[in-house]
Amino acid sequence: MSDISDAADLLATAREALAHELLPLLPKERRYVGLMIGNVIGIAIRELQAGAAAMAGEAERTAALLAVGGIPPGRDTEPGAGAPRELRRALCAAIRAGRFDEPAASAALMGHLTRTAADWVAISNPKALRSS
Amino acid sequence: MSPVAAAASEDRSVEAATVARWLAHETRAREVLVTRLERLPGGAIQENWALDVTIDAGPWSGSHEWLLRTNARSSVAASLTRTQEFAVLRAAHAHGVVVPQPLFLCSDANVTGSEFFIMKRVAGVAAGHRLTREAELVPDADALAQELGANLARLHAIVPPQPALDRVLAPPKPDYALSTVREYRAFLDTLADTYPALEWALRWCEIHAPTDAPVALIHRDYRTGNYMVDAGRLAGVLDWEFAGWGDPREDIGWFTARCWRFARADLEAGGIGRLEPFLRGYERASGRRMTAGDLDYWQVMAHVRWAVIALQQARRHMCGGQRSLELALTGRIVHELEYEALAIIEKAAR
Repeated sequence: MSDISDAADLLATAREALAHELLPLLPKERRYVGLMIGNVIGIAIRELQAGAAAMAGEAERTAALLAVGGIPPGRDTEPGAGAPRELRRALCAAIRAGRFDEPAASAALMGHLTRTAADWVAISNPKALRSS
Repeated sequence: MSPVAAAASEDRSVEAATVARWLAHETRAREVLVTRLERLPGGAIQENWALDVTIDAGPWSGSHEWLLRTNARSSVAASLTRTQEFAVLRAAHAHGVVVPQPLFLCSDANVTGSEFFIMKRVAGVAAGHRLTREAELVPDADALAQELGANLARLHAIVPPQPALDRVLAPPKPDYALSTVREYRAFLDTLADTYPALEWALRWCEIHAPTDAPVALIHRDYRTGNYMVDAGRLAGVLDWEFAGWGDPREDIGWFTARCWRFARADLEAGGIGRLEPFLRGYERASGRRMTAGDLDYWQVMAHVRWAVIALQQARRHMCGGQRSLELALTGRIVHELEYEALAIIEKAAR
């Protein structure tokens, strides 16, 4: 517990104010915009809380998948933020080249992709996640 | 209404007097009186105007409720021109597809500043969020699903050659599925980021491409939200701007894909009904069988296609000079589409 609000708490407080103090006052034809703003704030809060971990997890799993396939992960042109993007790019090239066509490789790839997509859906629209 | 459409309506207008003069000539009337000409909401690429007329003398003598469809200012290259769309609509109507009847085409952009056509205005509700929520709009869901299936079969009965269409449409592509895969990849290669899940879905579509290649006239946006329902019945299929020659199974995958079920993800026939009556209607009217494998394949393709379109929308916001909350949020559905495509691939592998 902190003494003052962090970014996520500020956004959550703003969303409360939007929902309770502004939305009821909006004319019908502007309500959709109000709802979209509420939705956007929700995504931003969840991305602040879970975005970095999702990125790091994806990068780590991608590096492992590429290492198993003996695929060079590409040049790390931009240190830090550049690395996950470079890994993703190398993975895409390997997929297109057919390096994950064999059942064992494609099962490992599917596991990774599904986990990654689920992590981002949990941020963008958690209601779309299936329990299984 | 999206900000794009709002902006378009401000800098364009259709003059009632101009339309009346042009229509008088087309309908061989003594005089045409335009009693209503009003831009309808929606449509960032095309504008729809409600057009009420009273026609004095000639074969169209009397009062009519029509719809004028013309280009918006911010046109997208990928869609058909009004001249092409009119030809498609005519062919569909002639083959018994339930569509608003096309009436008059003006290919001459000098008349109102842009080409346009006029069709009958169909009553009813198209909004997907309403059709999938308000049960009273669809009192007999199985009947509507079956009707939508049979209607799609009538469209797919239009096969080449069709001189009137061949004059205006691009020729059919051999290996439609594979050429579609190549097209999506070429688009992804233009982007700043890469998308491993979409890349895998495309690889999967490449490996599992159908060995047969039926060709028919397809709508390419046949889904809930793009047809009118009036008194529980199909009243007309709208928005033909993406139509062309292609594999008819693509339309079925698009119609049934989870991403187009709005409030009812459990109802596979576009969120309004069950899959079984939809396919029964289609199969009875077409004689074509849609296997479970076909359905999986074209549903994966549907999610990839929607993801490609969502990425295009996101780019209009990020670098196309059209800053918009709606376009930005559309970009964020890509993850959900990836997630759904992967779930179908997973299911198909079992």
